[in-house]
Amino acid sequence: MADEPSWFERWVDELLNNDRFQRLAAKILVPYWAWRTAVKPQPGGPHFSMQPGDNVMRMMNLVMPLKDKSPVGRAKAALAIAQNKDEIYAGLDNVGTVHFARFVIVADNICMFSVYDGDFTNYIRDFIATIGSVFDAVVGLVEGGDAVIPSERNIEAFIDWVHAHDLYQVPDLATDLLRDQEAVNGAQPCTAGNDLRLLPRALILQLHVNSNVSLGSGYRAYPGYSVAQVRQQLGIGW
Amino acid sequence: MSAVFNAADLQGNIVRGYRKPRARYLILEVTNREWARRWLTDITSGRDNGLPQITSEAPWGDTKPDSCFNIGLTYQGLRALGAPAASLATFPTEFIEGMNARAVKLGDTGASAAELWPFPFNHPQRVHLIATIYADAPAELDRIQNLAIGDGRALTLLGTRDGAGFNGDYVHFGYLDNLTQPRFAEVHDPDRYADGQPMAPLGTVLLGYPTNFEGLLFRVPQPERLGLNGSFNAFRMLQQDVAGFEAYLDRAADDLMAHPKLDEVLPPGAEAKIGGGLSRPAALRELVAAHLCGRWRNGLPLALYPDGDQVPSDVNMTNFDYVGASRCPVGAHIRRCNPRGGQIVQRVANNSRRLIRRGLPYGPAYNPAHPDGQERGLLGNFIGANLGAQFEAMACDWLNLGLQDPRVTGSNDPLLGANDPLTSWFDLPLRSGGSIRLRGLPRFVTTRGGAYTFLPSLPAIRHLGALTD
Repeated sequence: MADEPSWFERWVDELLNNDRFQRLAAKILVPYWAWRTAVKPQPGGPHFSMQPGDNVMRMMNLVMPLKDKSPVGRAKAALAIAQNKDEIYAGLDNVGTVHFARFVIVADNICMFSVYDGDFTNYIRDFIATIGSVFDAVVGLVEGGDAVIPSERNIEAFIDWVHAHDLYQVPDLATDLLRDQEAVNGAQPCTAGNDLRLLPRALILQLHVNSNVSLGSGYRAYPGYSVAQVRQQLGIGW
Repeated sequence: MSAVFNAADLQGNIVRGYRKPRARYLILEVTNREWARRWLTDITSGRDNGLPQITSEAPWGDTKPDSCFNIGLTYQGLRALGAPAASLATFPTEFIEGMNARAVKLGDTGASAAELWPFPFNHPQRVHLIATIYADAPAELDRIQNLAIGDGRALTLLGTRDGAGFNGDYVHFGYLDNLTQPRFAEVHDPDRYADGQPMAPLGTVLLGYPTNFEGLLFRVPQPERLGLNGSFNAFRMLQQDVAGFEAYLDRAADDLMAHPKLDEVLPPGAEAKIGGGLSRPAALRELVAAHLCGRWRNGLPLALYPDGDQVPSDVNMTNFDYVGASRCPVGAHIRRCNPRGGQIVQRVANNSRRLIRRGLPYGPAYNPAHPDGQERGLLGNFIGANLGAQFEAMACDWLNLGLQDPRVTGSNDPLLGANDPLTSWFDLPLRSGGSIRLRGLPRFVTTRGGAYTFLPSLPAIRHLGALTD
């Protein structure tokens, strides 16, 4: 059969398990390959969907690199959250569409992970509209943050900036990853987009330009429900 | 008049409507950058140079002109005119991407997909400028069109779309429209009744002024002369399936006639209050139509008149709210798109997503005695200072997802939404507190074209006309 892998293809497939080849690949092959095949970083956050159930309980994973990459810098970030916690939580409450939100320091990044319903820009805009400049204390500690504060006066740029720090969500379906790759490079979808043999290459090239990603859109114990639907069912007001 | 802005600087179709019965949209492509710039200079010169002049907000005096003329520019249009990259980058992302690219968010999927829009809207790269002529007579539309296009060396006409009222302010599904608009303290508009809603800050519609969000300002595209006193418009060509809508009302009325709770929906004898003495099935049709929209077809709001449309004339049809146990369904079209002061999930958004809506029907009135295959619908303009915060926020979270109230989340707007009969539903509230779920709503409105345009001030048009290199 023509589709039967040749000895060469079998050898290439085995290379991934070869330690010496892996070191060679990481140091030389991938950078060379990325230089030959420029891949743009994927935009962050979930796609809007035609299915209503996919447009609620969406994940935001903001990873924001701190300017001051030292224990002092990390402590400043921790303090900025602690000092403004009440206002930030009040802002999230007023947005009305946020299920959960938490702040985490990972290495030299201040991260905000949250689960929200509907459109991302409405979430961020309503959040800033409610708490005003309070969140600027956090943004001011982040690389590039000075360009978008005060956030109330730079709301469009602020939303774009937050979007740029939201992690790419590697799709649950392999073919969707290839589709994303074509879309971001401005290519028309082609039949090669469904060639699953390209998947490892696409993933490696994307992770080369995008070192932090979210794997899939995450697990939900009760998918398809908005914050208000859950609160209404629990009888705690919405 | 306003002390805040100079009325002569503002395009005249933004904060007020002309109330002309006809409008023609010229969809234009820049033929030659230099000539197009000269054209922009000439239409704002105020001199008799053979080109139509932009109608500003300045008072007309005693005589209303025979026609009015205004323009909007797409992002591709600003590029074609040679606006510098640094200036282009100060426009908002959704405008840069354009309406076609925002399809999923707007519910433009399936039959409404942008790839299916007729020319020229399926070629957004070529749609640069949309000029609108407002007039009383078709001959005047033709005359102004010929003046505007001339020999075509500045702009190429890609297509036209004509709108015309056929029965005053009634639109194709048979409802009275054009009843409410945001009102502004700075704009005197004697046609508008007080509506119980707070006055909208000027920044709701014009760039450079305070918005409904306290302390938050929308970015004015730079340079200031380009952005200040401008606005953004979502132009939409919305096809309406009138036969499908009427057929659905028939079906819903039949289903309700057989429903065990029929007498709670329409108590015996209550049909006398609807439509001036209709049969029970005919009254049920009108009752369903009123609930889907939130207004009876004659414009009376359900929130004030839940039992029937027979009310002495000259009532204020705009002064109501959804506080407490309103009889207007949570999912009704007008309530979904503007929740007024009612409780909603997004606590800061009650008034922040308001839009100015200006539109005219297109296509002939539907005659049920002689069904035809003609296309008809609405040429709508949804105007606001920020497309993302207003038009898109309303379209994706409220119109189609129903996030504003857990009782409608997961359903689409019954009139405008991207409905599929297999999954669609609408809850008809009952006085007892329960509801009857209507199912099987098809998509009544299909998008057939559109574009995001920037509505520049007159100084901004002159600025673009004076661009060099």
